[in-house]
Amino acid sequence: MQPQRTARPPRQGQPGQPREIPAAASSYTRSRSPTYSAEGIVVRLRDIGEADRLIWLITPDRGIIRCVAKSARKPTSRLGGHIDLLRHVTLSLRSGRTLDNVGQAETVSSFRGLHTDLLKASTGSYLAELAERFSVEGGASPQLFGLLVSALTHLEASPRPQALARRFEMRLLDLSGFTPQLDMCVECGQDLLKEERLLFSAARGGILCPRCRSGQSALLPASAEAIKFMRFLRTAGWTRAERIHVPEEAFHQTQRILRNHLRYVLDHAIRSTAFLDEVAKPL
Amino acid sequence: MTSSRFSPSEAPPVARLIDAFHRLPGVGPKGAQRLTYYMIRMPRQEAEELAQAILDVKDRIVLCNNCANIGESELCAVCSDLTRDNSRICVVEEPLDVVAIERTRAFRGRYHVLHGVISPVNGVGPEQLKVRELLERLKDERLQEVILATNPNLEGEATGMYLQRLIAPLGIRVTRLARGLPSGADLEYADNETLAHAVEARTQLDAAAADR
Repeated sequence: MQPQRTARPPRQGQPGQPREIPAAASSYTRSRSPTYSAEGIVVRLRDIGEADRLIWLITPDRGIIRCVAKSARKPTSRLGGHIDLLRHVTLSLRSGRTLDNVGQAETVSSFRGLHTDLLKASTGSYLAELAERFSVEGGASPQLFGLLVSALTHLEASPRPQALARRFEMRLLDLSGFTPQLDMCVECGQDLLKEERLLFSAARGGILCPRCRSGQSALLPASAEAIKFMRFLRTAGWTRAERIHVPEEAFHQTQRILRNHLRYVLDHAIRSTAFLDEVAKPL
Repeated sequence: MTSSRFSPSEAPPVARLIDAFHRLPGVGPKGAQRLTYYMIRMPRQEAEELAQAILDVKDRIVLCNNCANIGESELCAVCSDLTRDNSRICVVEEPLDVVAIERTRAFRGRYHVLHGVISPVNGVGPEQLKVRELLERLKDERLQEVILATNPNLEGEATGMYLQRLIAPLGIRVTRLARGLPSGADLEYADNETLAHAVEARTQLDAAAADR
């Protein structure tokens, strides 16, 4: 039996007939890798492959982006000079199957002051680690990005990087909704500054008066000066936070309290503190 | 044994080898498959030589007692060379950096390999590197200069600054590699940072050489 012949569809593009875009071509157009531009701060790098770099970029509108800069470790790479830790960059990215690829890179700011001072470089790494821990992929956070840019900009010329770090910690807790309660006892609501021997509880999220301390664990001492300093950090600008004089003991209490609170909120150790503390110690 | 992430139609020895190659840095699933199928066609003698070479690296290679470079005995080839200059130590991040500097034939001093770089974000501090061993070597009275040849990025510079802080009080000269434009590159394509370093570290031309 002869197969039945069916009429062939008319060829397109012949005179007098409108030419349509073939279905395959239009789907190809839709599935093409989109390219996009992203401004951000490089907060982590890892060498991968022969000479590639894996980048963690904190952006204002896409949260953390992980992308690959191909051959960025080669001296002749046009990307290499722009890809470094704590670098404010604008990247031209092409979406990949698992990771996006960097096509072009431009430096907005390299924060050169951090490259010539060990304490500033270590503080910058600490701020970057905190910012990374509070960021998520796809979660826009222009305030967090703005805070990091602003902190690194001030850090470059900062006379007191440690004070700047305290202000960053407090603002970060504030932005993420974990501001510690510093105005009254978290348990009984008692006004704090009339009390002595106050304590901080990360689990309760603030200061406890002596009467409410029983049954609580992992408490840290909090002097009136430390509490005043932390309250001040909630509203002070960078310059005022650097200039204010705080007794050394109160400053260290503040550092311990804020770090303890951050560690509790993140439920993760902050790795860069060990080196930062070593560098901050006088020789 | 780890389970294969590859096709179940592949024979278990093939899947195992693909898995093994895939664990190597820079080798993706397709590359691992290509290498494996190349090995299947490889003459047996070549395969045995390759296997023996891998075993030799694991069995016979040790870290040099002096500089922590890799070698075949307690002292690596550089440390056992009596003609090398003992007054200079070049500090590098990885053994491959020794190979790169040796290729230039521009340095005749000794080396010290840190086996990494200080990376606070990744939890790598000085105690994970060969810093203590370096400080021990600085007690040698013949030593006049330590050249820091860590990579020109923030972590490399932080490592350099940390070492400089430890070494400077000992009265030993600390220098670092110059930074600037790569040979053959076009100035117009250089990034601002590299160009700024090149301008800062510019050198004076030798007038006598210009006259020649």
